[in-house]
Amino acid sequence: MLRFARSLVLGLLLGAIFGLYLGWIQFPSQTRNRNMRDMSQRYRDDYTVMIAAGYALARDLEGAIERLQRLETGDVGDHVQDRTERVIRTSARSLDDIRLLVRLANDMGRLTPAMEPFWDLSGGDP
Amino acid sequence: MTSQVSGISKNDERALGYFSYSVFALSLVAGIALGLSLTRMQGPLRRGNAEPWQLNADDRSHYAIAIALEYAHSGDLATALNKLIALRPAQDPIDALADAACSLAGSGYLRSGGGITAVRSAVALYSAQGRSGCAERLLPLDATDTASAVADEGESDAEIARPQPTKPPLLAGDEEQSVQRVAATPVPLRRFEARAARSFCDTANPALIELHVVDYLGRGIPGQRIRVRFGDQEDVFLSGLKVDRGDSYADFQMEEGIDYAIDMPGAAEALGASLSTGACYSGSRRTLKSWRVTFVET
Repeated sequence: MLRFARSLVLGLLLGAIFGLYLGWIQFPSQTRNRNMRDMSQRYRDDYTVMIAAGYALARDLEGAIERLQRLETGDVGDHVQDRTERVIRTSARSLDDIRLLVRLANDMGRLTPAMEPFWDLSGGDP
Repeated sequence: MTSQVSGISKNDERALGYFSYSVFALSLVAGIALGLSLTRMQGPLRRGNAEPWQLNADDRSHYAIAIALEYAHSGDLATALNKLIALRPAQDPIDALADAACSLAGSGYLRSGGGITAVRSAVALYSAQGRSGCAERLLPLDATDTASAVADEGESDAEIARPQPTKPPLLAGDEEQSVQRVAATPVPLRRFEARAARSFCDTANPALIELHVVDYLGRGIPGQRIRVRFGDQEDVFLSGLKVDRGDSYADFQMEEGIDYAIDMPGAAEALGASLSTGACYSGSRRTLKSWRVTFVET
């Protein structure tokens, strides 16, 4: 009996671990039910830049904040500041994108020394 | 005696081995099935690796609108199209953008000026590609300044067709928010006729007036004003705001003992008779009678 139970438990345990690995890591489900917070860094940056571009167009800070809140990153100001500084540091995006982000960060009161060169670049209106 | 039995049993176990390979193999298969089932029920792990096409419908709509906003700023049509295609819509990506704009416009997105600009950006993008949707009908008549800004900044080699308003502003406040630069050409107001007021008994939706506004082909028309008058009060609301119920749908909750008159201000005469609710039975369950009213474009 003990022999049976031992084999059963061990088999189930190893099988379940392997099944979880297959289902979550190797062959994750391709469902379309994920949230913006689940997006990879690249796409979250992309979305932030798109919203910054929209902000440059309409100057609707409230709307921009509402849209960025969909990323569920906590404080939207922190998010914009972090993204902008990271993008500047890593040169991950074009100069135009950086200027859009800097404009949004500035209008959110998040202009930091790292951003100032881009803000000054075009007389305070990137 | 007991020790002898136990001794025999241990000997047997030793002889057979501590492990049953057949049971192990079967339980291993069962375990794999269990693990896989769990991952499918639970969904993917939250690992920050999702791509935009994996987003749920609501977030995908917002992402598509963000693409339109970027396009309105940069005028880079190729990038916008590539991003829309990357959303892997079930239909044509531009049509999907039109649908996204429509669903957002019908869900309170137009309450803010920024929302109007965003939807206008989407309209500008899909109009430039020769598509149309319901969003342009839901957009306020005014705010041509924003539309011009979108077109001026976003205009590339492709000609951008400016959205033509087709109906009066949804909200009185919207008209005051923006400055008119170009006088919009008013489109003749649509006319409707109330047809097919039928009562029904539904325990899930008691005392509800279900309203549908459709065109002459039976297609739902969002953004149409419907008025319900009762006593000395009235309530005006719009069709198509409950996106999950379709463009035509609106509803109103009734109370017992009150008569309700329904019309579409300036577009349809009041329904011939007022509506009221009362007891009805669905199977053996008592509930309150509901009504279904359809306004058809004439």
